[in-house]
Amino acid sequence: MASGVLAGGLGALLGIGGGIVLVPVLVLGFGIPLEQAVPASLMCVVANSCAAAASYVENKLSDLRLGLTLELATVMGAIVGGLVAAFVAEAMVAVVFGLFTLFVSLQMLLLRTPLQEPTSTASYVPTNYPLGISGSFVAGGLSALLGVGGGPLKVPLMSYGMRVPFKVASATSNLMVGVTGAASVAAYAWRGHLNLGLVAPLVVGVLAGASVGSRLMPKVPTAVLKKLFAAVLLLVAGQMLWKGGEGLWPSVWR
Amino acid sequence: MALPVPHPEQLEDPLEVQFQQEPITHPDAQPGGRRWARRAMAGERWIARVLRTGAVMSGGMFVASLALELLPRDESVHVAIDLLRKGAASMLLVTPVARLAMAGTLLGLRGEWRYTAIAAGVLALLALAVGAGFQA
Repeated sequence: MASGVLAGGLGALLGIGGGIVLVPVLVLGFGIPLEQAVPASLMCVVANSCAAAASYVENKLSDLRLGLTLELATVMGAIVGGLVAAFVAEAMVAVVFGLFTLFVSLQMLLLRTPLQEPTSTASYVPTNYPLGISGSFVAGGLSALLGVGGGPLKVPLMSYGMRVPFKVASATSNLMVGVTGAASVAAYAWRGHLNLGLVAPLVVGVLAGASVGSRLMPKVPTAVLKKLFAAVLLLVAGQMLWKGGEGLWPSVWR
Repeated sequence: MALPVPHPEQLEDPLEVQFQQEPITHPDAQPGGRRWARRAMAGERWIARVLRTGAVMSGGMFVASLALELLPRDESVHVAIDLLRKGAASMLLVTPVARLAMAGTLLGLRGEWRYTAIAAGVLALLALAVGAGFQA
């Protein structure tokens, strides 16, 4: 439950769902098999999205129109990703994605951010829709290929590529991950991989964490959120490079 | 000779007064706009309500199932826990999909049919993805 609170709080603050935190904690900390940890963490992503997005939509932090547009591209990308999965070297994709997230995280850590950013959907207009749509398509494809949520890719994409304020990008990503997460959980549940005994305490913790995180997010300075996001991206990059390295290492060794 | 002191109402800027009044030439423009904005606000509040209700009800059912675990193990308790957890999980999974459908409908009611079509497309693709067993 405590790890659920942490994942919920972090997920609500950064718009990443929280799976990044939960899967390693469940697998490494509690020794739960990966095929049970992934659907349980996806269920928590859905819970996090519902609890946090309610507050963000009410406070006009989530951009419904942008979310819908990018959601369509993400789902299309996920379907294409699922179709080409058999023909693509997963390890190579993981390394490329790991290097990309490493680059984005370092850029976020090293670049200075403007002091003031608009903090509601009323005070900005998203630009560069073609980049956003194609990026979301790639995010959906990577999510199907590597099992990572789209949040770590979509938040920087909206924030840097489409000039959406960071908090709005994070809140919109939070709204989007709920729908895609629910579809993923449904697919796992149909195959009988969803352990509700494991899910129950986690979801309760996530709901509590998301409730606190969504109240904190509007008050936390954007620069702090960006640094926190960059730290989480570094973790993702590490996971992806490890995953890719594990797959590529034997062939390099030989 | 002392000048007469003007009344505060006489000092008011006539242009400001005119600006605060509703335009006479387009009587429907501002109230219509306000009605539109009110409807938009109400729509967003409804979406937030759907999300919050789903999260709270599902969370409540999961908490109740955890509380039931403290009771002595019995067949009926076991069934109740199972039912509560299945109900909670179903409610949690349906909530974001209901939000998506609601957002599409509300934007359609505001005349933004493009987003209704997008929401319908997302729902159809999700159904296809789940049916095919892909992880979106």
